[in-house]
Amino acid sequence: MNLASNDSSSADAGKNVKKRRKQAFKLTPWRSQLRITSRTVLTAIVLLIIGGLYLAVNARVARSGRSVLIMQSERAELQRQIAELTATLAELTTPERMLARALELGFRPAELGDIEYIVVAGYVPPDPFVAPKPPNSTTEHDGGLSPAYTETLGDWISRLTSPGRDGRQ
Amino acid sequence: MIPTSLPYRRVSVLLVIMGMSALAMFIQLIRVQFGPYAPVFSTWIEAAEDNEDEIEPVRGLIYDRDGDLLATNVPMYYLEVEVFQLTQASRKQIAAVLARTLALPYEDLNNQLNTDWGSLGQYRIRLTRDVDGGERWPITIDQVAADVLKSFLLDPDAPDLSGLKPVPAPKREYPASALAGHVLGFVNQEGKGYFGIEGFYDNWLGGKAITVERGYIPPEARIQPDTPAGVNLVLTLDLDIQQMTDDILRKAIEDSGSEAGQIIVMDPRNGEILAMAILPSLDPNNYEPWLEELGVDAEDLETEEDELVINPAVGGQYEPGSTFKILTMAAAIDAGVIEPEDQFIDRGLIEVGGVKIRNWNGGAWGPQTMVGCIQHSLNVCLAYVASEKLGIAPFYEYLTAFGMGRVTGIDLSGEVSGQMRTPRNPEWTEADLGTNSFGQGISVTPVQLMAAVGAVANEGVMVQPHIVRAVVGPEGAYWPKPTTLGRPISAESAKTITEMLVQSIEGETRYAHVNGYEIAGKTGTAQIPTENGYDDRWTIASFIGWGPVADPRFLVLVRLDKPESSPWGSVVAAPVFRDVVERLVAMLEIPPDSVREQIAAGD
Repeated sequence: MNLASNDSSSADAGKNVKKRRKQAFKLTPWRSQLRITSRTVLTAIVLLIIGGLYLAVNARVARSGRSVLIMQSERAELQRQIAELTATLAELTTPERMLARALELGFRPAELGDIEYIVVAGYVPPDPFVAPKPPNSTTEHDGGLSPAYTETLGDWISRLTSPGRDGRQ
Repeated sequence: MIPTSLPYRRVSVLLVIMGMSALAMFIQLIRVQFGPYAPVFSTWIEAAEDNEDEIEPVRGLIYDRDGDLLATNVPMYYLEVEVFQLTQASRKQIAAVLARTLALPYEDLNNQLNTDWGSLGQYRIRLTRDVDGGERWPITIDQVAADVLKSFLLDPDAPDLSGLKPVPAPKREYPASALAGHVLGFVNQEGKGYFGIEGFYDNWLGGKAITVERGYIPPEARIQPDTPAGVNLVLTLDLDIQQMTDDILRKAIEDSGSEAGQIIVMDPRNGEILAMAILPSLDPNNYEPWLEELGVDAEDLETEEDELVINPAVGGQYEPGSTFKILTMAAAIDAGVIEPEDQFIDRGLIEVGGVKIRNWNGGAWGPQTMVGCIQHSLNVCLAYVASEKLGIAPFYEYLTAFGMGRVTGIDLSGEVSGQMRTPRNPEWTEADLGTNSFGQGISVTPVQLMAAVGAVANEGVMVQPHIVRAVVGPEGAYWPKPTTLGRPISAESAKTITEMLVQSIEGETRYAHVNGYEIAGKTGTAQIPTENGYDDRWTIASFIGWGPVADPRFLVLVRLDKPESSPWGSVVAAPVFRDVVERLVAMLEIPPDSVREQIAAGD
């Protein structure tokens, strides 16, 4: 009997606590609002952290992507410069030009009687010319740097509002 | 109750800032989605549906045997305009700058820049110019002009060129211009190689395009696999020898008043072509006018390619005349039907198959040895040797073994096989035997004759002429070995006929004599066939010879078409051969015979 009596009294006590809490929230509704607000803010903060991380990673990927595109573009530009310089050098050293320069310097083509042949012991003729291995072609994505992707809102507003560079030559 | 101490003002400010940021982002999103660049994005998305892009590799380079660059790629630039980047000012100033620097009509450029391309669904255009015939071609500029425009684009004080973009594209460049132009061929604007090396090795030089995934927007940019470039080629040509032969040929054509000419230098031991000078020349940097002269439209090149004789050394067949007597005599000696000292009484006339054959001067030369027959280039004697000593079947078997009537397989585009009628051909008559014996009624290409005579120079072994010495790809260098085409005659027979030709040069053909060097060779004066028989005014004068006889290092063919000063090969072509050889021995560092004998004897 005593045991049953104890059980019913503890149940009553629990009910009383709930009742009192309910009464307390009724008397001070800001407590409930604060709780909801804090939970919402906490959720928002978590979401913001996740979103921030996501944005940071994406921004970094985008920056790296831009770097790749820029470096590809720079490499292609350097290869073009090398090609241009190589061609210029080849033009400047064609036999026709070299012969003309030699004649200007007072040289003349050797004739049969001018040449003396001597035996050089241990002479090893030079190895035949071997062309360099062909370089790989650079993959250049010109479109990656299109203004469609790089123009910011500010650029756009200034472009709309600016009259242009009129008046300059 | 909310505590009154909460910083309402700060919260309000924060909310306003956040609201404005959100608004800015919203505007940017709307602008991207519906703004001026929206069609650009849409176009790109549509174009990128398969998300793949084909990348053309860089075309391989071509070098001479010493590493001098013969063909390379330089950048040229198309002028493209990002339509939505144009401003009123830049429209005017782009037109003004381009009109002034490139000498283009201002109105035309202005019209292109002021067209409403957006309404036509185009957001990036390539500026074009008028060419003859009402066509419009893209405007192209070189690296220097592109650098100027790029500096303008970066300089705030320079003319406003907003929206203009020089877009690079490779262009084939030949530093030596017309030198060896026929050998090299050329590459058209679409990047396809035609004729010569460019045509023959087009697939190798051009490489294989690869397909890559597009990475247009930065987050998608990834390291794409680079496209393997086409192979680099090292030719057997020596640019210095090429220049030398070109200079000598140019002078010879001027001196003799010839219409055209060729000088080919080959190493008879391995078939390497050291020089191939051909005039009139072809400048591969500027091939359009040359095509116009041939009456070919550049756009029809693909369909007419096979019918054009671009390189006369491999595609221009002609009746060789007396240079062909080397082969007839070599065949007879190898067959054992004659000896060098065999006697023949030349009466100035012989009839073969009902056709009367006379000597070049119409005279009778009386008793002659076979050496004399070669030395005086007697048609009657050679017709006698072929018809009465050698016979029909052996004669044509030898000519076939010498490669007559079929291509040599030289690695140049446009080679033809020449024409030889054999007894199997219904049109063949016995008269052909007589005329063929001294190089008439049969046509060859210069390279074909070089290969055949090369067999005589190279101890009876015929080697395939070739131009490419090494092929260099990403995996390394490949050196093709010389290809033997056959052994038409024995080494002993080759030696015998060589000695006969040496005597021939030291006798009548003294214009080809080179002091200090034993040279073998033969003149040729060929008539030119027309629809109405042989042209009695013009000839093709030629000389083919090699040396040093003891260790042949070069075989030289000189051919002059329609010389005015003299029709005879011995007069106009033989001295040219001598001039070439005198320079050639110095350039190839070949000591005179006496020095070589001393070196061999160990003195």
